[in-house]
Amino acid sequence: MKKSFGYPIIFMVVITAFFTSILAFLNYKTIDVIAYNQETDLRRTILYVFDIEPPSDDPKAIEDTFNQYVEEEELDGQTIYVVKEDGETKAYAFPIGGTGLWGTVEGYAAISSDYSKLLGLDFISHSETPGLGGRISEEPFKQQFRGLDLTGGKDGEYIVYRPAPNGNVDAIAGATLTSESVSRFLNKDIDNFIKLKKGEK
Amino acid sequence: MANSKKIIKDGLWDDNPIFRQVIGICSALAVTNLMLNSLIMGLGLMFVTAFSELTVSLIRKFTPKHIRMMVQVLIISVYVIILDIFLKAYYPEMSKALGPYVGLIITNCIIMGRCEAFAQNNSPLPSFLDGLASGAGYTFVLLLVAFFRELLGFGTIFGYPVLGDSWTNWTIMIMPPGAFFILAIIIWVARSLSPEEKKEGGTI
Repeated sequence: MKKSFGYPIIFMVVITAFFTSILAFLNYKTIDVIAYNQETDLRRTILYVFDIEPPSDDPKAIEDTFNQYVEEEELDGQTIYVVKEDGETKAYAFPIGGTGLWGTVEGYAAISSDYSKLLGLDFISHSETPGLGGRISEEPFKQQFRGLDLTGGKDGEYIVYRPAPNGNVDAIAGATLTSESVSRFLNKDIDNFIKLKKGEK
Repeated sequence: MANSKKIIKDGLWDDNPIFRQVIGICSALAVTNLMLNSLIMGLGLMFVTAFSELTVSLIRKFTPKHIRMMVQVLIISVYVIILDIFLKAYYPEMSKALGPYVGLIITNCIIMGRCEAFAQNNSPLPSFLDGLASGAGYTFVLLLVAFFRELLGFGTIFGYPVLGDSWTNWTIMIMPPGAFFILAIIIWVARSLSPEEKKEGGTI
């Protein structure tokens, strides 16, 4: 093939346009499915922190259960989720998060409407070491926060690890730093949320 | 037919990308702490390698030689994005588990290496086959590494507990250093089983 100046450029333009249009088409075809998957993930998390069990893990069932129980609200620029029963607010779910050992940890926590109990929490993303800090997203750790009494929390110290005298939760063995940061941002976020909510009234 | 047999044998064993050519090991170290992740990663790589080689081979006669690398990278990235979109849409849990590594398939030296070394000089069908075989060779080593890491690190295989509660998990196997040990042992064993033939023309 003889070397010309124009041919490679035209070739590259044509081939790029061709492949890009394939990708654009695929992206267009799947964009709704992907958005729906992400919504399902979020709904699953929110239902989990409220301790509401959807009838099945089917995305449609999750969506229906979510719409039945949960409403969205704005608080200080953040989206929070509210569960109401007979027009009366039962519980709130709000975002939590902070820096873990390796990166940002993000999740949601739910609290009862009288701020006396933590209903549950879940993490949507973290980059802690699998098998060590990564176990924060495992059931035994998260289960400890179900129905955790918050009334004993003084000076924003709601989560205290055993064996401290007033400890209420077990940290993860071998993951001291991750456990510490989880309790740090949890305490901060719970405190902030209660203050914001109370200040609103 | 003898030729395609040789291509498959080369990809799987004689010229295995991981333990013979020692390329593409970054992802072999990164995603191999669970067997399921490794399997999906391997299948993804097979798909991308095979179709990239097919495409490169199809247009090799029209591609100006001095811009062929650009064209190859473009083709590879197209297939990687297709795979990424597919996983996100139809297998979101796996897309989450593999995280950035799906996108990083594009930097896997196996694909570029095979496109340049094989697809550039061969007709489409053998190229496609070569992609499948190289990908399968990669998948097979990944699964082998993951087998030991998951077994020792979690006591499970494909998520099923096999070692029981009395087993103490080796945390190092879950973390990246575990992969170095296992991969090195596998390369050592594989190379002792079939020592590299002397290259004709004398070696240094």
